[in-house]
Amino acid sequence: MSGSTLRGVAAAPGVAIAPPWRAPEPVARAAGTLVHGLAESSKRAAVELNGLSARLQAVGRNEEAEIFEAQAMMASDPELLDVAAVLEAEGTPADSAILAAGDQAADVLAAIDDELLAARAADVRDVAARIARIMRGEEPPSLDRRSIAVAVDLPPSVTAELDPALLAGIALEAGSRTAHAAILARALEIPAVVGTAGLLAAVEGATQIAVDGERGEVFVEPDAAQRADIDGRAAADAERRAADAAMHDRPLATANGQRIMIAANIGGPDESARAIEAGAEGVGLFRTEFMFMGRATAPDEATQTAAYASVLSAFGERPVVIRLIDLGGDKGLPYLPLPPEENPFLGVRALRLADAGHTDLIVTQLRAILAAGERTGRVPWIMAPMVADLADVHRLHELVGMASAGRELSVRPSVGIMVEIPSVALIADLVAPEVDFFSIGTNDLTQYLLAADRTNPALADRQDPMHPAVLRTIRQVVEGGHAHGIPVAVCGEMAGDPSGAMALAGLGIDELSMDAGAFGGVKRAVASATREQLADAVARAMAVERAGDARTIFDELRGAAPAT
Amino acid sequence: MAEATVEVRNPSGLHARPAATFVKAAAGFASDVRVTNLTRNPDKTGSAKSVLGVLGLAVVQGHTIRIVAEGEDADQAVRTLVEMVQSGLGEPVEQA
Repeated sequence: MSGSTLRGVAAAPGVAIAPPWRAPEPVARAAGTLVHGLAESSKRAAVELNGLSARLQAVGRNEEAEIFEAQAMMASDPELLDVAAVLEAEGTPADSAILAAGDQAADVLAAIDDELLAARAADVRDVAARIARIMRGEEPPSLDRRSIAVAVDLPPSVTAELDPALLAGIALEAGSRTAHAAILARALEIPAVVGTAGLLAAVEGATQIAVDGERGEVFVEPDAAQRADIDGRAAADAERRAADAAMHDRPLATANGQRIMIAANIGGPDESARAIEAGAEGVGLFRTEFMFMGRATAPDEATQTAAYASVLSAFGERPVVIRLIDLGGDKGLPYLPLPPEENPFLGVRALRLADAGHTDLIVTQLRAILAAGERTGRVPWIMAPMVADLADVHRLHELVGMASAGRELSVRPSVGIMVEIPSVALIADLVAPEVDFFSIGTNDLTQYLLAADRTNPALADRQDPMHPAVLRTIRQVVEGGHAHGIPVAVCGEMAGDPSGAMALAGLGIDELSMDAGAFGGVKRAVASATREQLADAVARAMAVERAGDARTIFDELRGAAPAT
Repeated sequence: MAEATVEVRNPSGLHARPAATFVKAAAGFASDVRVTNLTRNPDKTGSAKSVLGVLGLAVVQGHTIRIVAEGEDADQAVRTLVEMVQSGLGEPVEQA
C-alpha cells in the first residue's frame, strides 16, 4: 500500500520518517536448551529491571523509573512464580510456563474495565518475556539503524532499552496514552502514535513510514506532500531544540546583558545531577514532601539530614532553597492523620501544621536541615510555605529557634518565605525586614488571588499567572523586597514559561526557578529583548483585559526582536 | 487471626505506586495476609504480598476491601495496612 494514512491516538509529540522496525513478539518456545532455571532467571530479571530503573532515576526521570521498579517487583512476585512452577511441574517447558503464567495474570488485568489497570497487563507480559529470554540465554532486542518501532504493544522495557539515538519514533496498534510505552516515549522525547487499527497489516513490507505524534497519524510510504510536511516540522522541532541547547553555556540575561539567576526545581537528591548538567545556578525549590510520601512512617532526622546534605554538597557554593513540608488535608499520610476539611487549600496545611499538633514534624525537619548545613559547611536556605502575615513569620523564626536549641551552629541558615497567600504579598514591605528572601509561588498565588480552584478543570482558563492582577501583585512584592535589600525569586510554573519569564524579567525578579528542561527556552525568550523593552511590555500587560492579551504582548515582542 | 474492612479512597485505588506501597508494607510482616475486594467479588482473595494478587482484585477508588492476617503479628499487620489505605497510600485522598 502506498501513501495510505492510518489514524491513531497522539501519544508523544514530534514527527519522524524512517523504515519500520518490527519489534519481536515473544516466542512461545524457542529451540534449544535453557540456560537458567526459573528462580535464577527471575532473580536476574529483577536485577536488570532495577538497573533500568536506576538509569532513569539518574537522569531525573523518577516517575518512569517507578515503572521498572514495579516490574522488578512483578519479576519476583510469588503468585506469578507459583503458577509458572506448577505448570513446569506438570511438564510444560520452563520458558513456556513463565510466558503462560504471565499471560494468565495479564488476562486478569486486561479484563478489568479500567484503562489504567488494564494497561498494566502489558507490564506483566513484558516481565514474563524477559524471564523467558534470560532462561534461553538470549540478548535483548536492539536496532541496527535509525527506525520507527512498530508493534501491537511495545513492552516498556524494550522502549527503554532500545538505543534512543536510533529509535526515531513509535507506532503501536494497541495501547493508550497511559500505556507505559507512551509515558516513556514522552519522557525520552520520541514521537509516538498508539491505538492505530490495522497498523501491522498496513506496514507489512513497507520501506518507509512516518509518525505524526501531534495529530496521531501514521503514514505508510508517505507521498511527496506528506514527506515535505513531516520534514518541515521535524526541521522546525530540531531547530528549536538546537536553539535551546545552544543556550546551554549562556547565562540567563536580557538582550542588553542584565543577568538573572537561573535555578532548578527538584523533588529529591536524585534530581541534582540532571539540574547541574543543565546549568542550574542553584536550587530555587527543593520540594521535600515527596520524601514524606509513600511510606508508613515519617523519615527520621538522620534520613532527612542525609538527603538535604546530599543536595547541599552537590551544589557546592550555589544556593539551595529547601521548602518545608507542604502538605494538608488533600494529601493524607499514614503517620499524619489530618481531619477531613471542606477546602484543604485554605485549611490546616504546611506551616499551619505546627499549630495543629504536628510541631514535632516541622521541628524535626528544621533540625535535619540545620544538621545538613553543619555537615556540609553550606548555608541552607529554609523556605516556609503558607505564610500569611507577620505573626506567621515570627512563628517560623520561633520554630527555627526550637530546632537550633542546644546546638552550636557554625553555619547560620537563610530563612525566607514563599509568597503565595495574597495577604502576605500586600504587606511585603512589612515582612521583608524580617526575612532573608522571598520566593513567589505563582501557581497558588494565582488560584488564591483569582479565587479559582486550580484542581478544577472547568476553571483552567482562569489559572493564568499573566493576569494583570497577578502581575501587579508580583510588582508589589518585588518593590517590598528590594526596598529592604532582599532578593525576590519566582519558583512557580510561570518562571519556566517563555512569556512568563519575560514578564518576570521586566518586573525586576532576581531569580527564576523551574524544571531544568525549560532552561533553554526561557534563556532564549529573555535574551530576545532588552530590560527596558521588557519593563515597557510588562507595564502594558498590567493594564489589559485578560491574561491572553498579556501573552500576546510578549509573543509579539519575542517574534519582533532581531535575532541575536 | 485479625481482620478489618476499609474503603479505598485514593484516586488510583490499589494499583501502580499505591499497590506497590501496599504490597511492600504487607511483605514486611511475618503473617500470611490476604485481601478481598468486597465491592467487586467477595469470593476472590489475593495475597497482600503479591503485586499481581493485589492488582487482580481490581480495587478502584470507592471500593471496600477486607484485609485478613494470620500469624504472630496479625494484629499489627491489619492495623498498619488499614491506616495506610485510609490515608491514601501516598496519594491525595479526596475529602467526603
